[in-house]
Amino acid sequence: MINLKKNINLILTASLLMILMACEETVTIDTNELDERVVIEGLITNQQNHYVKLTRTRSFYATGPADAIENALVSVSDNNGNTFQFVHNPTDDPTQNGFYYPMNSFQGQIGSVYSLDVQVDGQQYNAQEELLPVTAIDSLTIIVNEEEFEDPEEEGRFYEVLFYASEPQDRKDQYLFKFYRNGEIVKDSHTDIYFSDDILLGEKIDDLEIAGYYAEGEEVMVEMYSLTQEAFIFYSDLFNLLNNDGGMFSPPPANPRTNLSNGALGYFQVSALDSESITIVPPGS
Amino acid sequence: MRTLLFTVCALLFFNTVWAQDKFTLNGYVRDAKSGEELIGVTILIEESGGGVNTNPYGFYSLTLPEGEYNIQFRYVGFKTKVEKVVLNKDLSLNINLEEETVELSEVVVTAERQDANVTSIQMSKNELDIQQIKKLPALFGEPDIIKTIQMLPGVVSAGEGTSSFFVRGGSADQNLILIDEAPVYDPSHLFGLFSVFNADVIKDSELYKGGIPSRFGGRLSSILEVRTKDGNNKELRGEAGIGLLASSVMLEGPIKKDESSFIISARRSYVDLFLRLANQKNLVYFYDINAKVNWRANNKNRFFLALYTGRDDFNFDGNFGFDWGNRTATFRWNHLFNDKLFSNTSLIASSFDYGLGSQEQSDGFQWDSNLEEYSFKQDLNYFFNPRLTMDFGYHLTYRKFAPGKIVPSEESIFKTVELQNEYALDHALYLSLQHQVSDKLTFEYGARLSVFQNIGENTVYTYLDKLDNTNPIRTDSTHYGSFENIKTYVNFEPRFSARYILNNESSLKASYNRMVQNTHLISSGTVPLPFNTWAPSSTYLKPQIADQFALGYFRNFNDNRFEFSMEAFYKDISNVTDFADNARIFFNQDLSTEFRQGKSEAYGLELMLQKKKGALTGFIAYTLSRVNRTVPGVNQGRSFLANYDRRHNLNVVGTYDYNDKWTFGGSFTYGTGRPTTLPSGSYEFGDGQIADIITERNGFKLPDFHRVDLSATLVPRKNKDKKYETSWVFSLYNVYSRKNPFSIYTRVKVDEDDNIIGDGTEKEARLIYLFPILPSVTFNINF
Repeated sequence: MINLKKNINLILTASLLMILMACEETVTIDTNELDERVVIEGLITNQQNHYVKLTRTRSFYATGPADAIENALVSVSDNNGNTFQFVHNPTDDPTQNGFYYPMNSFQGQIGSVYSLDVQVDGQQYNAQEELLPVTAIDSLTIIVNEEEFEDPEEEGRFYEVLFYASEPQDRKDQYLFKFYRNGEIVKDSHTDIYFSDDILLGEKIDDLEIAGYYAEGEEVMVEMYSLTQEAFIFYSDLFNLLNNDGGMFSPPPANPRTNLSNGALGYFQVSALDSESITIVPPGS
Repeated sequence: MRTLLFTVCALLFFNTVWAQDKFTLNGYVRDAKSGEELIGVTILIEESGGGVNTNPYGFYSLTLPEGEYNIQFRYVGFKTKVEKVVLNKDLSLNINLEEETVELSEVVVTAERQDANVTSIQMSKNELDIQQIKKLPALFGEPDIIKTIQMLPGVVSAGEGTSSFFVRGGSADQNLILIDEAPVYDPSHLFGLFSVFNADVIKDSELYKGGIPSRFGGRLSSILEVRTKDGNNKELRGEAGIGLLASSVMLEGPIKKDESSFIISARRSYVDLFLRLANQKNLVYFYDINAKVNWRANNKNRFFLALYTGRDDFNFDGNFGFDWGNRTATFRWNHLFNDKLFSNTSLIASSFDYGLGSQEQSDGFQWDSNLEEYSFKQDLNYFFNPRLTMDFGYHLTYRKFAPGKIVPSEESIFKTVELQNEYALDHALYLSLQHQVSDKLTFEYGARLSVFQNIGENTVYTYLDKLDNTNPIRTDSTHYGSFENIKTYVNFEPRFSARYILNNESSLKASYNRMVQNTHLISSGTVPLPFNTWAPSSTYLKPQIADQFALGYFRNFNDNRFEFSMEAFYKDISNVTDFADNARIFFNQDLSTEFRQGKSEAYGLELMLQKKKGALTGFIAYTLSRVNRTVPGVNQGRSFLANYDRRHNLNVVGTYDYNDKWTFGGSFTYGTGRPTTLPSGSYEFGDGQIADIITERNGFKLPDFHRVDLSATLVPRKNKDKKYETSWVFSLYNVYSRKNPFSIYTRVKVDEDDNIIGDGTEKEARLIYLFPILPSVTFNINF
């Protein structure tokens, strides 16, 4: 799933590397001492996979899992007077440290506005976001990629999945896509984010290749999220930050714009979600 | 302005009163061998010591009392000629100068009189000697004037392999780059590896960094004026060069001997031939074609037509492709109205365009953008007397900006979308007087009146918050018809220069200039890309205004063998165009919400020692400078060092004529690392992505830049029977293979195949550098 913006980035990177025959090496940089800041990753959808993840920033050269915040007060309310309390890691799973889940299950409603309220160490962080509708995925189909068939990067993975949907032309939409192979996220490059607005999109989205190549028997899932304009901007900024060339041709790296208050990093995303799955079988069989 | 007008009137009046028993001597000064006009020849009256220089078209005019005079014509590289003139009526005298050394095969065209460094009123200007540049070491053996410009005092580069240059704290888009008076919007080939200027056709080139004459306008920081050869009007000759990455061929000769001539030159790269060996499906090339015809109808009328077209074309796997190119056309008519009034009328067209396309089935598209410019220029030189000349004129320019149109291919998911075109009319009236007040003191004073109109057809939107670039909300719109005025900006640009001669060998110079820029480059990186667009001043974009003060001391040593200059400058820019953090400059329908304008302040000291005569020639240039910006909405409003700020710059360039077979060249360049933005920490977000935290723009410095290049030129002994002459240029780039920083970026640690190492939480900083030691050879043939 390629948007125009990504094409440009691809072209620029390719041309830089090809034409200028650039060489690279790892260097050590001195980085400023930084005051720790709170990182919030929130997701509310019209289904039931809501979460809020709270971590802290760290120094540039730190490794290992992010420092989870486990003692925060987290709640989400909507503009109909409902408040949903979130609790930290209710299953006590150590891999779920920093994750907060709703105490009582609820479903996001299209058109509702959701407000996040997080309190950490006496500091309050807020965000507001509207749940916008998402267009439905029509179908997925499978084709053989000839080049991968002749010379597969990974053994047996030479099937491509094509995506079909109708883009509503009478309203402004923004989308985020996620692709899964047997439940594992798939990206062509680890810095990829698949997002788009609809300024350049026509009504028919046909034969659009999704990321990755797949082998027979693999289960492929596509998720399509609606984004607000602000969330689209956040992902666009994040993509540019992750793919920055250091400011030679690309703009100087900058922190993504966010809907979070009080200097928190990250984003509180509210989305309608549609998903579609397909099991890879040879086409025509 | 009133004072200035008064002075002009007074001067005109005095002229008529005093001119009664005076006669005018005028004409052109030319190279005897090729017939090319010589620019800046000194014409000296032995009896009085006064004198003038030939103008950019090789024309001079002297008005003197009746009498007998010995007139000297002096020019570097040419034999001085003395003509005895009996002036009892108006006379026309064309002079042909012979080259100094008969053995030298090449025409040395240096547009300078011998002691111009000291005596000329112009400061902050560098001339580029193309013949010397051809002997200097060059990247891949392609001689390139822009690479030499990047080594001049007051000029810095962002790094190697780029064709951008930054003059006295100005950004890359603040240079007006002219080829035969036509602007070139993007001077780069292969993303800046080479410039568009083919050394075979360049006659001369000059860079104005300060004290900019009032006939120039439109950009803040410099004027690079490149003039191409007019073509030899005596005999047919040619040149061909075969280089590592590009080859060129040039042919020039008379159409009608002594009256009209032509020159045509073409250059094409064959990078793709190498790439094709590696991958059959890639196509990468550029070409340049220069052509010029020139006709001297009579002594009063000359006509020129100069054309340039150049293009870069890239195609990957037959799927992705992009291309860009410049086209310019200049028609010029030099006319002598009378003995004292010289006129140059030009019609100029220039265009720049780029295209990006993908032939993929589902997301195929073609994206095109272009910029067109048409100008009419009327420039006049009036020669009152040897002590007073006046330049004045009117320029009118029409520009059309088509920032982008996307057309989907069949079956594509995209739809046709076109950004709004923008249009502008630019009028400029200028006047400048060069006034020799006494033997020691000369002033040049004048002004340029710039009237800029952003015109229709266009629709201008009003925004709820015009700086909201996250979710711009349009509240109203106004439609303007074709040529309907949308916004007018009137700016008055005073220009002033003074020179005071201390003694035969030294002088002091001072200058002030105000420059206004109404075309803005939409680029947020350090180095512009060919895919950047330009925009006119408009409702949401104010003209950029620069005020520059410069002061200099100039001294020649050893009979003008050595030229030394020391200049200090201070430049203050208001409304400098910048962009919000995270600005989305590609295909943004609300681009105006990304504009941020602020202040830029630059100051510095430049030292230069130059040797132009003898076997060893070259220069040493040192620049100490600083440039910072303060732009509301960028870097949280705090001031920051500009991307191209380099504290110290040292460049040494030299060529040595060992004998008539061998010439050696060498250069050394050093620059403090330029500022860059590095993270102060990181955080985890989404599907295992580790993002950087940015706290300050340009808060870090890249490692220093330094490099040595060497070259040797071999001209095998000329065989008397042969009609041609050959030469070899051997170059060694980056002799000690320094890894000079291009930029530093960060990433999650990955292996060579882009697979994440470890758990994907470890980050690393990567230094990009371009060229290790690179040998190259170029073969040239002259016939």
